[in-house]
Amino acid sequence: MNSLTVHFGKEITDIRRNRFFILLLGFLTLIMVISVIVSALDFRTKMADYTLYLDALVKSGSTEVPPAPPLYPLQLLRGSIEYLELLGALFAIILGYRMIAKDKGSGTTPLVFTRPHSRFSMSGAKLLATAAIWGTVVVIVFVIMVLALIGVGTAILSPQDFSRVALSGFYAWLYLTFWSALAMGLVALTKRLSTGLIAALVIWLIVVLVIPQIGDTMDPDNQVPGGLFKSLQIGKADEVAVTAHFSGFETARDQIEISSITKHYERTTFAFLGIKDLYNQQPLGDVWLALLPNTITLAAGFLAAVAFALLSTVKRTLLRKES
Amino acid sequence: MGTLITVIRYEILTAMRDRLPRTLMIVFLGMIAASSIIGWLTNQTVTAVYNQVLADGLTTAANPFSGVSPLRYMSNTVIYMILIGALLASVAGVQASLRDRKMNTADLILSRPVSTVGFLAGKLLGQGTWLAGVLLVSAVTNWISISVITGSVLDPTGGAKILLFYGIGWVFLMGFVSLGMVSGLRSTTEATALLIPILIWAVLVFVVPQLGTAAHPVSLLNPVAAPPSQGGFFQLMNNFLGPLAVGEHFKTASSFLLDTGQTASIASLSFAVIVIFALVAAAVLLATPRNTVRSALHE
Repeated sequence: MNSLTVHFGKEITDIRRNRFFILLLGFLTLIMVISVIVSALDFRTKMADYTLYLDALVKSGSTEVPPAPPLYPLQLLRGSIEYLELLGALFAIILGYRMIAKDKGSGTTPLVFTRPHSRFSMSGAKLLATAAIWGTVVVIVFVIMVLALIGVGTAILSPQDFSRVALSGFYAWLYLTFWSALAMGLVALTKRLSTGLIAALVIWLIVVLVIPQIGDTMDPDNQVPGGLFKSLQIGKADEVAVTAHFSGFETARDQIEISSITKHYERTTFAFLGIKDLYNQQPLGDVWLALLPNTITLAAGFLAAVAFALLSTVKRTLLRKES
Repeated sequence: MGTLITVIRYEILTAMRDRLPRTLMIVFLGMIAASSIIGWLTNQTVTAVYNQVLADGLTTAANPFSGVSPLRYMSNTVIYMILIGALLASVAGVQASLRDRKMNTADLILSRPVSTVGFLAGKLLGQGTWLAGVLLVSAVTNWISISVITGSVLDPTGGAKILLFYGIGWVFLMGFVSLGMVSGLRSTTEATALLIPILIWAVLVFVVPQLGTAAHPVSLLNPVAAPPSQGGFFQLMNNFLGPLAVGEHFKTASSFLLDTGQTASIASLSFAVIVIFALVAAAVLLATPRNTVRSALHE
């Protein structure tokens, strides 16, 4: 058994024994499932209103039947995906921090390094363990969400829907591992553990909360409760025609948004799940091709963060005493 | 009284020196400075959108933004208080407790005849004074930027409203300072101490409002409070959990103070919720047993 496998096994055992982190993952799963249930109940309420309206129309002798509210079950996952991008990233930072912090000052690391080691066996094992943990969590969370969709949302999913969910799960894994690797690298590189954690938290605040929020509030439609265009009773086609006049502003807004990796994750996942109307019910291959630039950016970010963690989590940084 | 003032002064000094709250403070003040520009840019575009809609003959509705208050330019400030301000306050509170536990300062001070409540109240007031200073800088930044954008000095009524907004903002943030201090006193590791108030913040700002309004988490980052959703389940949840959605209540109270839509009757409930939240959090902090305050942190 080589040292990479031994280290990997130790990292997995450490996390399994960390009750607080297990609790955090339970919390994340819970709020994501609650979000699916809330969306399903919201849809049921709208459907009940529609049925009531239809009954009233029939009673009044009208023959005109308004279209039923469309139900695309995968759209019910929107809130859960948003929780993953906001809080999942935060928990990923905590995992990355723990990967380094738990061994500092324990005396284990100096002892381990008295034995012959390949340069990247420890950092590689920590990264592999992080990837394995997020892989397991993503599978569990997405399976529970699909069960909630079928059970509470009474959804019927096609085989292609399962492919869409699986692809979204893979992107979630990329996104979460990115944040853990980034935090791991930052914590390993800084002289004090708390400085690395601070840096990661500040980056999280700016990238996950502030930049998408700026893009969101700059959207003209978000300036009035319920939507500007809805309040002016303007349909979707006219809305698109009007906003076409403000392409400069929209481009600036878009540039702000795409400076955040969170938006690349969100855009791809929302497209695969059909949450974004433009890509709803479109063939998965076409959607994937259309979102290729976002995929490339997300993958590049993931690889850069992994390389950063791999290169910074070395003997010199791990054995450095806290100042 | 002398001890209380000494604790307050010491707390202000250490709060200013601590790197973590200071870093978040820089982000907070930077975003406050940027918020007016973002507000102005958005307002210009929205007005242009309305004019375009009118020119295309698509609506006969009145311009929802005609005659709006110049304070509308700082609407983004509201969300920065909820996002960055609350995190800054929580982290400042956590650090205030952890500092003492790491250096055994609290244990040393409380070995003397100093009351626990007095000591914790002094620390809370010290943090509050530091936070009030940060908010005062933010208020002046908003006042100057709005005056520059509108091309005329903001009148005293507008200035007073900005001060009132930051006044209720201070109360709102003090709730998070208290939560942070409690977490710092009771946690066994630094990471746990930092994470617990952030989790509570996430529940109050995202999960609770979602259960009452069916709004998606990211849409709750908008400074406009989410309207309650129709339907028995959501109304029931809104009745039970509504008072806990302090972030949404802060948006409503701010909307009244900044003249962006809410009436006094609706906002009065929100003011009450914010004050009760801060008082309950402070009461929980002040009720911390002496032994817990004296416990050291060894990581």
